[in-house]
Amino acid sequence: MIKLESVTKVYKGEVLALHQASCDIQKGEFVFLVGQSGSGKSTFLRLLNKEEEPDNGKIFVAGKDIARLRRWRVPQMRRQIGSIFQDFKLLPNKTVSQNVAFALEVIGRPRHVIKTQVPAILDLVGLQTKMNRFPHELSGGEQQRVSIARAFVNRPLILLADEPTGNLDPATSVGIMRLLERINEIGTTVVMATHDRGIVDTMRRRVIELNNGEIVRDQARGVYE
Amino acid sequence: MARETLRNLRRNLTLTLASILTVAVSLSLLGIALLLQRGVSNATDRWQDGVEFIVFLEPEITDNQLGLVQGEIERSAAIESYRYVDQEESYREFNEDFFPENPEITQLVTKEIIPPSYRIIPKQLSAEAIEIVASGFETKPGVKKVVRATDEIQKIEKATDVIRWIVLGAGVILLGTGLLLILNTIRMAIFARRREIEVMKLVGASNSFILVPFMLEGTFQGLVGAALGTASVYGANRAFEEWLASDNVLNILQSFAVGAGDVWEIGGLLLLVGALVGSVGSAIAAFRFLDA
Repeated sequence: MIKLESVTKVYKGEVLALHQASCDIQKGEFVFLVGQSGSGKSTFLRLLNKEEEPDNGKIFVAGKDIARLRRWRVPQMRRQIGSIFQDFKLLPNKTVSQNVAFALEVIGRPRHVIKTQVPAILDLVGLQTKMNRFPHELSGGEQQRVSIARAFVNRPLILLADEPTGNLDPATSVGIMRLLERINEIGTTVVMATHDRGIVDTMRRRVIELNNGEIVRDQARGVYE
Repeated sequence: MARETLRNLRRNLTLTLASILTVAVSLSLLGIALLLQRGVSNATDRWQDGVEFIVFLEPEITDNQLGLVQGEIERSAAIESYRYVDQEESYREFNEDFFPENPEITQLVTKEIIPPSYRIIPKQLSAEAIEIVASGFETKPGVKKVVRATDEIQKIEKATDVIRWIVLGAGVILLGTGLLLILNTIRMAIFARRREIEVMKLVGASNSFILVPFMLEGTFQGLVGAALGTASVYGANRAFEEWLASDNVLNILQSFAVGAGDVWEIGGLLLLVGALVGSVGSAIAAFRFLDA
């Protein structure tokens, strides 16, 4: 599903974000990316989304070399990839259901599809009773659920999560991880960058560790360190 | 998308108004410059392209005499080129160009009494050289009169030329300002919506879906500005026409009148320029700041 072949990314000609990174992630896997801040985790995710271009090496997403995608095909590719972030990136002037519906509206889904899919996905993330609230009226955990709903409402093949529990307390984080596990069980490939030792150690999934831009460990059913 | 566009326009009301008004003022200046050009060219139609004097012939000139005059012109080494205007064309010119709104004058004139003429472009343009060539024709049989491009007409052209270039220059500078203002308005609109744009890109909205509302907004501003500009050009022409119609105006200015068709043509051109400025301005902003 995702494949990197000796990918190198250098920022501004000097900061080495990724160096000769290679890995192969199968469909339906759940992968943790760990490592210190600045070790290249976010760059890894941004490269998959084509928000950044590698300086060297090849990246395949869903079997396609994404460097060879035409510019106008990139949005098409991104529809197969959901993204969630530490800071949620919700639109403050839209309600929960409007935030989720927005993701469908802007890719041109017809209204009747939006009408049925939005409540269904909010049901999945457990926010059916808070559809008409605004983000600032929700707790951090609830906001992250909204952003997961938005990322997943289009049923992407891949979910990229950049420290999704970074702003949440441990109990809330557990709830978010349960949700991500459920999404993974449906068949979605999940790649999650995290600093959360507890989560990694209890879930025992594949762990890819980055250090100064290099993959120093790639371990099935791994732990944080 | 139309809803989005309207919402953006409201959000940036002051800047939007500034852009629209700048475009309006600049395009009315351009329009007036064009109007002036049409007026002058109507008034001095006969003197176009370097024609320095006109040899008017007797309306009842014989073929023989005509041949002699023509031969004289063709043989003359001092003449660069010439054009023969027959009675038919002269009559049309008289009616349409000089007195378009005065049927009472044109009714008095029939084709038969209008003289045919030679319009002559001499090689040397100094006053003395022209005088020598021109006066040579005055005594030829069949020649009614030789009319030189008088100082007056050259003065009209020079004066209006200066005015026209100043107005045109001011118009172009303001149009550039309008383009920058539109660019800036769109940039502000993009900035105001940066979160939404980020999410749109993230979930895979197509580039055109993101771009088009901003382009529409810019084009709309350009078009509204152009519509206001067109209206003021139309108004200016109406005012000029009314002034002409009042009694105390010199008759010679009548020939400056510009027909309604010309005004609409200029209006169409202004709308086109407005839409172009708007879409170019917003396209520059969109491609620079959306990084799509």
